[in-house]
Amino acid sequence: MKMVALAYGFIWLAVFSYVFIVSRRLGRLNGEMDELRRRIDRLRP
Amino acid sequence: MPNQTRPTSSRFLALAALTAALFVIACNAIADAPREITMGLVQKIFYFHVPCAWLLMLSTLVCAGGSVAYLFGGSESGDRVAVSASELGVVFGLCVLVSGPLWAKAAWGVYWQWEARLTSSLLLWLMLVAYVLARRYGGASARRLAAALALFAAIDIPLVYFSVRFFRSIHPSNTVVSTLGPGMRGAFWLSLLAFTALWWVLFSIRLATETTYARIVDLEILLDQAEEKKS
Repeated sequence: MKMVALAYGFIWLAVFSYVFIVSRRLGRLNGEMDELRRRIDRLRP
Repeated sequence: MPNQTRPTSSRFLALAALTAALFVIACNAIADAPREITMGLVQKIFYFHVPCAWLLMLSTLVCAGGSVAYLFGGSESGDRVAVSASELGVVFGLCVLVSGPLWAKAAWGVYWQWEARLTSSLLLWLMLVAYVLARRYGGASARRLAAALALFAAIDIPLVYFSVRFFRSIHPSNTVVSTLGPGMRGAFWLSLLAFTALWWVLFSIRLATETTYARIVDLEILLDQAEEKKS
């Protein structure tokens, strides 16, 4: 039972950790897009 | 722009919901599946281990396909496909390399044996790790090197798959799925389907992230030029 719980637990942990990493990247991308919007607004006459 | 993104988002949410539902059904089927006579409960690791191994191979093949498109056709989208798939290969490869030894400890009495299937799988995973590291820290010049590395990784796939046939191996053979009982077989295929759907969801998110990042870089270059002209 211990080995099964460890194996299933590790797989879920790995998948959710990856989802967390990708969501952090998405957050950074949103920040960069906001910065782009600010730069475009500054260029507008 | 909202008209373009909304259908994509709703399609994505539908796929994510379908994946979650598939996992609920698969986990119920695994719980209900009969216990294997000789190994007992520890055999249930198989229902997650084999789909992860399949996704390791799928990720490597997609990574190699994208790398071929980039190396020989100069395809930027192929390169984005490759880098997205490589990360998933590392994640699911790690799952294979951890869940396998946990089963092996119960079945063989040791976590690891330096036999053909395990060693070639470890080699495949290390090549994908090398690909990801080259892309992360190698800069623009490492893109072609990483793509070549992905082709080497793809060459390792037949070695991994056929290793149990061509070499003396204590790893269960590739025909183990066909020997499963009816209750076990259904649970296995459901789990494989759920994991493949999960892979597709994660791959879609990762590819969208990579595509958006490439667009941001292009826009930044255009904005730099426009700002120079204005000043």
